[in-house]
Amino acid sequence: MDEKQGVIGAAGLVKEFGDVIAVDNISLSVGEGELFGLLGPNGSGKTTMIKLLTGQVRPTAGSAVVLGLDVTKDPVGVRKKVGIIPEQETPPSFLTATEYLDFVGEVRHITGVRKKADWWFDFLDFNDKRDVLCKDLSRGTRQKLMFTQAFIHEPALALIDEPLINFDPIMQRKVKDYLTEYVRRGNTIFISTHILEIAEEICSKFAILHKGKLLHTGTVAELKGRDQHLGEFFLSLVETGAHA
Amino acid sequence: MLKLFVNMMKEEWRVHSTMFGSLSFALFPVMIFGIAFMGSFLLPLFRTVVPPGYLSIIIHAIFLLLGIMVGGFGLLGMEVMNRRFGQASLLSYSARSLPISEQEIFCTFVVKDTVYYLVLWVVPFVAGFAIASPFISVPLSLSLLLFLTLTLSFLTGLALIFFLSTVYARSKRVFAALFVTLLTGWAALYLVAGINTVALFPPLQLFHAFSYDMLLAACAVVIIPSAIAVALFTSEYTDTTKRFKNAIVPLTKKLSFFPYPPLAAKDLIDLLRSGSFIGQTLFSFLIPLWLLWFLLSVLGRFIPPGDVLLLFAILTGVIASTMYTWLTMFDTFSSYTCLPVGVPALLESKICSFAVLQAIPAAFIVLVTIASGGVAYLVPAFVLCLSVSFYALAVTIWLTGLSPSVLVYDVKVLFLYLILVGIAVLALIALAFVNPYYATGSVLLFLPAWLLVKAGFTKWEIQDQPMF
Repeated sequence: MDEKQGVIGAAGLVKEFGDVIAVDNISLSVGEGELFGLLGPNGSGKTTMIKLLTGQVRPTAGSAVVLGLDVTKDPVGVRKKVGIIPEQETPPSFLTATEYLDFVGEVRHITGVRKKADWWFDFLDFNDKRDVLCKDLSRGTRQKLMFTQAFIHEPALALIDEPLINFDPIMQRKVKDYLTEYVRRGNTIFISTHILEIAEEICSKFAILHKGKLLHTGTVAELKGRDQHLGEFFLSLVETGAHA
Repeated sequence: MLKLFVNMMKEEWRVHSTMFGSLSFALFPVMIFGIAFMGSFLLPLFRTVVPPGYLSIIIHAIFLLLGIMVGGFGLLGMEVMNRRFGQASLLSYSARSLPISEQEIFCTFVVKDTVYYLVLWVVPFVAGFAIASPFISVPLSLSLLLFLTLTLSFLTGLALIFFLSTVYARSKRVFAALFVTLLTGWAALYLVAGINTVALFPPLQLFHAFSYDMLLAACAVVIIPSAIAVALFTSEYTDTTKRFKNAIVPLTKKLSFFPYPPLAAKDLIDLLRSGSFIGQTLFSFLIPLWLLWFLLSVLGRFIPPGDVLLLFAILTGVIASTMYTWLTMFDTFSSYTCLPVGVPALLESKICSFAVLQAIPAAFIVLVTIASGGVAYLVPAFVLCLSVSFYALAVTIWLTGLSPSVLVYDVKVLFLYLILVGIAVLALIALAFVNPYYATGSVLLFLPAWLLVKAGFTKWEIQDQPMF
């Protein structure tokens, strides 16, 4: 693999919530143009890791640099540059879908946001929900809206927590194709998921977390080279809890 | 029904203990008990300046207000709960998933609220008074009577708000007509006929002169509105989907003088579309202040009317500071986590929106001052009200950041709030009573307020935001 410029670099990241160690001394790097999958069972620390990398929570120890910015020192600067889809889709209750995208456009200073929003309404097929309050949208439509807000400014890096969980199979196919194409254009995507089929299908590189610890980092190509499926590999690692 | 009731009780406890911490929340009734117990020893002192009848009015009014607030939150809190707990709905809103009728769920909800808040507020208060009563020569039977009448006051508030809320949900026009009728009735009795309407409040009459007829009347005031509310109740989630024209862009342009116009525009839209603007102005501002004015007017017999007005201005300022919660209750930080917005920017924007909302207490205090014939006190009353409001806001921001309505129930936070606001309020009351124009010195409160806000920005920027 070519040596690529680091987009994400985490060194010894630790996050404690009281007595619970959600993320335990994790170091990893993600290069430009990668579709990186952070895999792990429920409660393994994936969501906390995304929150740490986007400056939503501060690390107890360690550091992380995203697109050249220290996430602890400049969390707003990081969020300015990246697109984020959080685990829980929480657009503001009393704005309509259109208003929310206009709001995002104003906050992010995006020019021509309306035209871009129109494209997304068509692409994700929720034109009929434009003027509905976010609180009245279904989970799937909220996910579409959150997907739109994350990509509407065409960020060099998008961090997505469970990207397809609320989508139907048709929409899943569409979104997977979009993500693959987005990366092909030179951008980087960091997803966290516990659905291994998604990771195996679209990710180029992956890391496996379990109980806050990093068990393994590797590429899907390596696994395929060994004629091994990601699912089997994941289960063997998590069940033994051993570092590979 | 019993099983549902037990589970609702558990749920209510877990909601509170998750928000505030089990220990902090468990200590809340202990604190109420302590305040009532120690406060009881001040009764002999109060009796020398205030006739006992007026003290009982104040206590009963507080519990009536408490019932109104608990009922209001219980019914209007669904959105808040959804924002705090995601899609995890509460049992109260589960008629779709459980084979139980909406009426039965609502009925159990009312009973649960009654029992839960009686145990949380009324019982500790009366217990504190009852235990102190032998030391202040008050017969124990009076404590038992107080328990009954305070319970009825609380339930009257609860029943009234449930009734008005269900009427409002059915028809806003009928609600408006009912509200105007009630207000006109009160005005006719009090202003025209000169009848002391407070004395007509059944629990209070019962406290002053117990009779079974009055007990029946007091119970009827609770049962009849509750029964009508249960009969009229309909769950909100049946076809509430509405469509709106885009308001964020034109509002953002109009509010371009704000430091963060889109955030201010969003605040305004939240207030208007959630119904909070009218609802909160009415239930969290005008009604409490109306009750307060009523109670303070009693003091007019003992202190000069001008001083009563200034005291009212100070208390209006404290209540006006709670308008900050109007701006934060539907707006947790999780909505902003995917955007390049920091906590200080959000706080600054909320302060600006709060400043605009202060037009309400400012206009209110001017009107009250003029209506009460105290035009000479207009400037000090106006300055006092706004200075206290902004100072109390600064204390709130420093202590609770973007989560005032949640963190204020933390005993440590509440204690600090009471100390910091209480000292300033007492000092201003003393100053105002010495000379009304000394009260204008309250503008100096803007300095500690500014420092507290700055400290709050730093504090909440480096802390992980609580995601309720």
